[in-house]
Amino acid sequence: MVIREEVYKFFADYIYKITGMVYVPSEYYRLDSRINELVQIFSLKSVEDLYEMYVKEITPDMKAVLVNISTNNETYFFRDVKPFTLLSRVVLPEILTNFPNEEIKMWSAACSSGQEAYSMLISIRNTTDDANFERCRVDGSDVSIKALDKAKLGVYNGLEIQRGLPAPMIIKYFRQLDPDSWAIDDSLKFKTNFFEFNLLTGFYPQEKYHIIFCRNILIYQDNENKGKILNSIYNALKKDGILVLGAGESLVGIVAPFQQIQFDGYTVYKKDSKG
Amino acid sequence: MNILVVDDSRVIYAMVKKMLEEKGHTSLWAEDGLKAIEIIKENNASNTKIDVILLDWNMPNMNGIEFLEYNFKEKVTTTPVVMMTTENSPESIKKALSLSAAEYIMKPFTSDILFNKISLIEMMF
Repeated sequence: MVIREEVYKFFADYIYKITGMVYVPSEYYRLDSRINELVQIFSLKSVEDLYEMYVKEITPDMKAVLVNISTNNETYFFRDVKPFTLLSRVVLPEILTNFPNEEIKMWSAACSSGQEAYSMLISIRNTTDDANFERCRVDGSDVSIKALDKAKLGVYNGLEIQRGLPAPMIIKYFRQLDPDSWAIDDSLKFKTNFFEFNLLTGFYPQEKYHIIFCRNILIYQDNENKGKILNSIYNALKKDGILVLGAGESLVGIVAPFQQIQFDGYTVYKKDSKG
Repeated sequence: MNILVVDDSRVIYAMVKKMLEEKGHTSLWAEDGLKAIEIIKENNASNTKIDVILLDWNMPNMNGIEFLEYNFKEKVTTTPVVMMTTENSPESIKKALSLSAAEYIMKPFTSDILFNKISLIEMMF
């Protein structure tokens, strides 16, 4: 089915307006299967019929169907869940005990638009008493300024906020600014500090952090770069500090002096106290 | 899983049915709360299990909240209910949760959100 430029543009513009996802004219072909799927869902005869229907009026149902077929979904709150359960129930309690009276510094090293950093704080807030929660701080870094601006703002749309967050947590930790935007509670936002940082070329602080989350980054690196990043992270951790990697990531093929610890089938990496 | 979708929109049901089928789930459709109660009673009588109910808010005859209120009193079913609605204020979410809805999906949503909520339900029940 040949799709006219005007039709592509109409759907591309609308998808951008609703989801922020960009389809530039050279990538309009990526909309083909999605537009044809809409034709099927609405039991229409042609793309032109679909276009005519959407141009006339976009009902909430039509919006819902269009959004559903047009987004991909990379960033989640509580992505993979287990690292956050481990953080709040196992790793952090041990760190709090080992470092009494100290501010506990955590780092979400590839934080994108902030969901990981805020998930860390939400899981801690849910399980930790006020005094210990007060001791916790989370830094977040990323190479994307745009993502960091969003993280600093702490405002997410309806789709973003529903990715990974159970409804009771949405109403507990976010306030609605308008029908489609939700702001993270200030008590969590004030515990974060977001900054630009390139894990390959950045100048790492020495022995600053108690806990570092560096997930789903190493998987895209070759072994040389992996080793470089892991050794820099090792130096940025305090002795007895903990590194959490992504579920599919490991130190296989890398020389980095971490002690591996298994918790409930999930491996975390400890900077040995001799380190 | 066998999932009852309660929504007056045939288009939304067609979309959700497709999402569910892609993951190997089966579905039933009720176009309002009254029809849902009828289907649930039939399934109770024939011992056919419904694992999750996806429930719209705004529907004719008996809307989603009226369904929750009715079920709260009459205990027609203990199957977990996930609201699936354009009503997206914190007050709406609180109201549904207070009437024993297990989760809440705000429209528009994507299939990953639907399955994330269903997996949360699986963990809870």
